[in-house]
Amino acid sequence: MVFNCGRVVFMRKVLIVDDALFIRLTLKKMLEKYNFQVVGEAGNGIEAIKLYKELKPDIVTMDVTMPEMDGLEAVQMIRNIDGQAKIVMVSAMGQRTMVVKAIESGASGFIVKPFNEAHVVETLNNL
Amino acid sequence: MSENDGRDPMLDLYILETYNLIEELEEIILESEKEKDYKNSIDTIFRIMHTIKGNSAMMFFDNISHLAHSIEDLFDYLRDNSELNVDYPAITDLILQSIDFIKNQLGKIGNNETSDGNPEELVSDIRKQLEIITVETPQESKESKNQADNEEHHYYVSSVKDCNEILEGELQNRLDIRYEVVIFFKEDCGMENIRAFTVIHRLKNLAYDIIYFPEDIVENNETEKVIRENGFRIIFSSKRDMKEIKKSFKGTAFLSKITINPVSEEESCTKIENIEEVKSSLEVVSYREPQIASKNYSSSSESQGKHNMLNVSVEKLDMLMDLMGELVISEVMVTNNPEIASLNLDSFKKSSTHLRKIIDNLQDVVMSIRMVPLAPTFKKMNRIVRDMSKKLGKEVEIVLLGEDTEVDKNIIEHIGDPLMHIIRNSLDHGIEAPEDRIAAGKNSIGKITLQAENSGGDVNIIIKDDGKGLNREKILMRAKEHGLIDKPEGELTDKEIYSFIFLPGFSTKEQVSEFSGRGVGMDVVLKGIEKVRGKVYVDSTLGKGTTITIKIPLTLAIIDGMTIRVGQSIYTIPIMSIKQSFKVNEKDVFKDIDGNEIIMVRGQCYNILRLHERYNIETEVRDIEKGILVMVENEGKSLCVFADELLGEQQVVVKPLPNYIKKVKGIGGCNLLGDGSISLILDIGGLIP
Amino acid sequence: MEDSLLNVMEEEDTQKDKFLIFSIDKEQYGIEIKYVLEIIGIQKITEVPELPNYVKGIINLRGKIIPVMDVRLRFKKNFRDYDDRTCIIVVQIKDMSIGLIIDRVIEVVDIEEEQITPPPELNKSSSNKYIKGIGKIGEEVKLLIDCDKLLSQEELEEISY
Repeated sequence: MVFNCGRVVFMRKVLIVDDALFIRLTLKKMLEKYNFQVVGEAGNGIEAIKLYKELKPDIVTMDVTMPEMDGLEAVQMIRNIDGQAKIVMVSAMGQRTMVVKAIESGASGFIVKPFNEAHVVETLNNL
Repeated sequence: MSENDGRDPMLDLYILETYNLIEELEEIILESEKEKDYKNSIDTIFRIMHTIKGNSAMMFFDNISHLAHSIEDLFDYLRDNSELNVDYPAITDLILQSIDFIKNQLGKIGNNETSDGNPEELVSDIRKQLEIITVETPQESKESKNQADNEEHHYYVSSVKDCNEILEGELQNRLDIRYEVVIFFKEDCGMENIRAFTVIHRLKNLAYDIIYFPEDIVENNETEKVIRENGFRIIFSSKRDMKEIKKSFKGTAFLSKITINPVSEEESCTKIENIEEVKSSLEVVSYREPQIASKNYSSSSESQGKHNMLNVSVEKLDMLMDLMGELVISEVMVTNNPEIASLNLDSFKKSSTHLRKIIDNLQDVVMSIRMVPLAPTFKKMNRIVRDMSKKLGKEVEIVLLGEDTEVDKNIIEHIGDPLMHIIRNSLDHGIEAPEDRIAAGKNSIGKITLQAENSGGDVNIIIKDDGKGLNREKILMRAKEHGLIDKPEGELTDKEIYSFIFLPGFSTKEQVSEFSGRGVGMDVVLKGIEKVRGKVYVDSTLGKGTTITIKIPLTLAIIDGMTIRVGQSIYTIPIMSIKQSFKVNEKDVFKDIDGNEIIMVRGQCYNILRLHERYNIETEVRDIEKGILVMVENEGKSLCVFADELLGEQQVVVKPLPNYIKKVKGIGGCNLLGDGSISLILDIGGLIP
Repeated sequence: MEDSLLNVMEEEDTQKDKFLIFSIDKEQYGIEIKYVLEIIGIQKITEVPELPNYVKGIINLRGKIIPVMDVRLRFKKNFRDYDDRTCIIVVQIKDMSIGLIIDRVIEVVDIEEEQITPPPELNKSSSNKYIKGIGKIGEEVKLLIDCDKLLSQEELEEISY
C-alpha cells in the first residue's frame, strides 16, 4: 500500500519469472516506476511455482523458455493451483505459437522483448 | 575517471552476463567435441543462445541477437533431431567462430565503441547447416504438428460475406443475443493477431458459437496487418446483455476503438452503428531515462543453483584492501604508541592482544575475498591449444592440474597473457609434427601439462611439454652474438643458459611464425610476470621436453617485516627471507682475493653486503662491530646484510614504488611507518647476485 | 600565500590559459594549471638509491607515495639547500604524479596564446628543451614549461643497473 497524494493506492504485487538475471532486473526496474511492487524473482518454472505459493502475487510475468520447467508448463501448473492467477507471458519475437499455447493454458496476456515500457505497463494494467 | 557518465548501468550487467554465458558455452562445446558426444549439451546450448538473443535484442545489439537467433534455431531443431547424420565438427567450428564474434563485439561495447560487426556470413553458414539437416529428415516438421493442434481448435469459419447464410443454420435460441464486435488495436502495439487470439480466448468464458475474421490468426502472421488496417471482427452468441459485454471488452489491452452491436438474422454483419471510442484508462506514458548509477554497480545475486555467489565491483575490493592496510598500521600506532610504552597496563595489553587477533582474522578473510581460482584462466588455454594445433597440423592435448588453486585477483589479470604466450611457444616451437614425433619414438599426440600448486607463500604455475626441448648450443651461440654473456662460458649452468630466452630480442627462430614472433614473446612474458612480482625458471632436456615454472608470491599486499636502519634511511626486510641476525666480532670477518668481506658461520661462508656502500647511504656506523648482520636467504642462496641497527618486527603494507621511479635492483616496494615516514622494502632476490 | 593561491585555483571556472608562476634563482617559470594538483611546503623526503641526481626520492602525501624532482638540478643548476619557503608543486600528467621542488611560488596569471612565442631554436641546451614557449606579461618574461618533456624518462632509461 502506498500513500499517494492523499489517496491510498494499492500496489500490485508481481512475481518475475525469467532465467536471465538481466531481463529480470530490467523488468523490475521498469515496473517499480509504476504502481507495481516486485515481491519475488524466479529463474525457472519450478521456482516460479514454489514462489507463487509462498508469495501469492497479483501478477506473474513468465518467460516462455526456461530450464528445468518452461513457461508453458509453469502456467498450467500455476493455473491448477489458482484458477484466478494472472500470468503475462514474456516472449521474444517469433514465439507466437508458444504464446498462443500459453494463452490456451490460461495466460492472460503477453509482452514482447525488447520491452516497450508503454506496452508493458498497458498490458499489466489490463489483466 | 568519468568514462561511465551517461552509460546505461544495465550495460555492465549485460556485458557481464553475456560474457559468462559465452564462457560457459565455449567450455561445453569444447568438452562435447573432446568427448565426441553432443547429446547432453544441445539443450543447454539452445538455452544459452536463446538468452543471449533476448538480452542482446533488449539492448538493441541486433547483430549479436541475430547471430544468436540463427544458432538458437539450429539447436532448437537438433533438440528433437539429434540422432541424424549431423556434421558436428562443422557446427562446432561455426559456434566457436560465433563465440569469437560475440566476444569481439562485447569488447567493443565495453570500450564504449559501436558494435559494428557484421555476422551475416556466419548466419548464412549456420542456416546452411540447418538446411542440410532439415532436408535430410522425413517431413516430421513442426509445421505438421501445428496443423494437428489446429484441428482441435477448428472453429466454424467462413467469410464475412456469407454471414447471412450462416445465421440461418444456427441454433434458434431466443434467449440468446447475437453480437457483432469490431476491434481496432492501438497503433504500433504489434502482434495484433495474437492479441486478437487472446480476446477470443477470453470471450469463450461468456460466449459461444464464435466466428471471427480474419480466421487464421494463429497460423498466418499476415493477419496481423489485416487486423491493423481493417480491425478484428467477431460474431458470437451470448446470454449476457450489452452492458456486461461492453464491460468485459473494456479490459482489453491496447484497445483503441471498439464497436459492439447486437445483430439480428436479417442485419448484415457489415452494418456499423454506435461507434464508441474507448478511452484509454492509462495516463500518458513517457519513457523515462534510466537513472545513471554510480560507477560501482551494486552487487546482484545469482541463484542458479551453482554456488551462492555475489558479483562485487573490484573497486570496492580495492578500497577494502586499502582500508585493511590502514587498519593494520593504525593498530600498531595505538598499541605501540610511545606515550604508553613505559606504562604497565595489564588490562590494556590483554585487550590489545585480543584486538590484534581479530584484526589478523579480518585480514585473512579480506585477503581470501580477493582470491580467485585459476580455473577460468586455465580453461581458456583449452581453446588456444585446440585452435593452434589444428592450424599447425599438430596433434596436441592439454592437461590441467590444480586449477582450483587460488590466487589474488590482481594476479589473474596479469598471468593470462604470459601463460598464453608460453603455451603458444610450446605449440609452435616445442611440440613436433606428428611424423617427427613418431620417428622419435614418441606418441603422435603431444602433451602439454598446465599445473598450479601452492608452495609456502607462493603459487607455482608449471607448464610442461613433451616436445623437442631447448637447444642449449643454439641459445648459447645466439646469446654470444648479442653480447649477452657476462660470465665465462664454463661457469654458466644449463638453467642459466635456458633463461637467456627471456632476454629482449632473443629468438633462435629464423622465421617468424604467425603465432610466436621474432623474439617478441618471452621477454614480454617475463615483464608480465615481474609485474606481479613473480619469477620464471626454465628447464629442458633436448629431445624430451621443456618445463617452465612461474613462481608468484601469494600475498601482494601485507607481509611481516623487520625494520632496520642504515644512516637516516629505514629499510624493511621480509621476515620470510631472514634466517637469523647477530652481532659480530672483527675476528670473524675476513676478506677474499677480490676484497669482498666474508663471514664464517657454523662452517659456512657468507658474503657480507654493506647496504650503506651498495646504496651510497651516509651513515656513521661503519665498524662491523657497531652494526648488526642479518642473514637472509633467497632460493637457496644466502648472504649477510650489514645494517646500523634493528628497529623491530611489524606487519607491513607493501606499496609499490611510483611508476615514475624505474626499478631499482634490490628494492621491492615501500611501506609507510607509524610516524608517516617511508621505509623501502628490500627484495632479497635482487640483492643476491 | 599558498592558501590564497589555492583559493584562486578553485574559484576560477576555466583553467585554460592559466599558469602557475614559480621562481628558481632570478628566472620565473610558468606551468599550466591543468597539471597542478596542489602545492605543499617542503617535507621529509625518503631517499631511493640508484636514481638520477635530480630525483630526490619519495614523499608520503596523505598515504600516497609520490616521487619528487628537484627542478634546479633537472635544469642543471646548482643545488640550493631547502628552507622553509621551498615548495613542492604536485603535478599530474596522464597517470603519473610527481612533486616538483622549486624555490618560490609566485602567483597564478593568465597568459593568452597571443602573448606566447616559441623558444629560440638556437639555445637548445639541455635545460632549454624543457621550455615550450615564452610568455610575455607587460615587461616581464615567463619561461613556460613543457611538462611532458620535464617528466620524460629517456635519460632515466639510459641509466641501467
